[in-house]
Amino acid sequence: MKQIMSSKNWLLAAALGASVLSLVPGQNAFAHHAFGAEFDPNLPLLLKGPVVKVEWINPHTWIHLEVTKPGGKKEIWMVEGGTPNSLLRRGLKRDSLQIGQQIVVDGYQAKDRSNRANGRDVTLADGQKFFMGSSGTGAPYDEPGKDSRK
Amino acid sequence: MGLQNVLLFGMVVSAWSAEIPRTPDGRPDLSGVYDIATLTPLVRPVALGERLTLTDAEAIDVAKRAAAFKAATSKSSDPNRKAPPAGGDGSEGASGNVGGYNTVWIDNGSGSFKIDGKWRTSLITDPANGQMPALTAEGKKRAAARAVYARPNRGDAFWIKEGISPGPYDDPELRPVAERCLLSFGSGGGPPMLPILYNNLKQIVQTKDTVMLLNEMVHDARVIRINGQHEPSDIRRWLGDSIGRWDGDTLVVDTTNFNDYPALAGATRTLHVIEKFKRLDDKSLLYSFTVDDPTVWTKPWSGEILWPATNDRIYEYACHEGNYSFTGIMRGARELEAQIEKKATK
Repeated sequence: MKQIMSSKNWLLAAALGASVLSLVPGQNAFAHHAFGAEFDPNLPLLLKGPVVKVEWINPHTWIHLEVTKPGGKKEIWMVEGGTPNSLLRRGLKRDSLQIGQQIVVDGYQAKDRSNRANGRDVTLADGQKFFMGSSGTGAPYDEPGKDSRK
Repeated sequence: MGLQNVLLFGMVVSAWSAEIPRTPDGRPDLSGVYDIATLTPLVRPVALGERLTLTDAEAIDVAKRAAAFKAATSKSSDPNRKAPPAGGDGSEGASGNVGGYNTVWIDNGSGSFKIDGKWRTSLITDPANGQMPALTAEGKKRAAARAVYARPNRGDAFWIKEGISPGPYDDPELRPVAERCLLSFGSGGGPPMLPILYNNLKQIVQTKDTVMLLNEMVHDARVIRINGQHEPSDIRRWLGDSIGRWDGDTLVVDTTNFNDYPALAGATRTLHVIEKFKRLDDKSLLYSFTVDDPTVWTKPWSGEILWPATNDRIYEYACHEGNYSFTGIMRGARELEAQIEKKATK
């Protein structure tokens, strides 16, 4: 049976939508630390290069890549990601992101001017996300709205 | 069998709930790993008023929105994209104008949770509007003081400009306990043990005399002494002092003796939490809690959440060893202060 949503239902949907979105990064107040304290909004970056090391650690993963500057000089940069534990549970391993793999990172440099950045968007060279979202990968609910936990 | 006997038999069966797993001494066996990730928030969206539950259609809608958001954020980016805008990307909260990281790292569940067959709009059930109760005068004072320290750091040393002393970055011990890897953020380790953005796994290990509650994030472990007595009030702990007792098939845990920094945001050393763990079947338990901190809130507040069992494993956390962000945060503050000094001496 097709239901027509009343204006009250739309209000409800909007309120719930807002609560869902309040739980995603960029809009949440609950995280290990405030990124704004670590990285400088006045130092935007785009980094490209091969992965040289992945530190698969808590509270935050660090991906190291080698960036070749316009003059040919090479620099190692460290990019901050999230906690690895959830990804480990989804079957991703230490070597899922391979050494030598070309990546593209956009983010902001650390306030202390060291070669560190937040991994605001980390992708493969062709723009693909190197790890996909949680849907269908062993996340608690694979079917929307249905409790299918083990 | 007369009607009376049938009814009596039915009551005995339901009181015993023989289907739940039990320990050799007949207590409900709570042990196992639970994944409490959920899209249901602690505090209800205000627009829902006193509505405690969602219809199936609404719950599916919530789940679909979350799935659509995850799908959208998992799409490829432009490989030839430019650096983000100078001056910040406008993001709010913890992402503080620079953004955080790809949403792949987030694991906050993909649906709401159900209790008594109904999807819930919030964890909080009392007050009936799903909101925390009003703050006391002292609670308001503390919240205002905290707000100064929790102010987003948008790239200027506002604490120097405004003469805030000590400034929020003057001492490592002034930083939030989660940032320092001392406790999970969002009261994940509790008490009360609440769902958060990721790392929502809990493990219960149970013996006749002791129940251990392990929270994955920051490896917070609470050891509950069954039929124990509270320690003297001058012994204070990060996770409080917890004693438990069995009320029929429900484990009731009473926690006091917190230090000045309980995991629950805003709470103080006068925090008192009562938690109840009740096995519903071999796949889940019902976790309910009542929070009372007369320093902060004008009355106690309560909530509940389903803890579904999972076959997934808890991983070690080792937060301190990898906490490079902390030095980055402190050095970043020194850099901002140096910039101000440089300007002043020009």
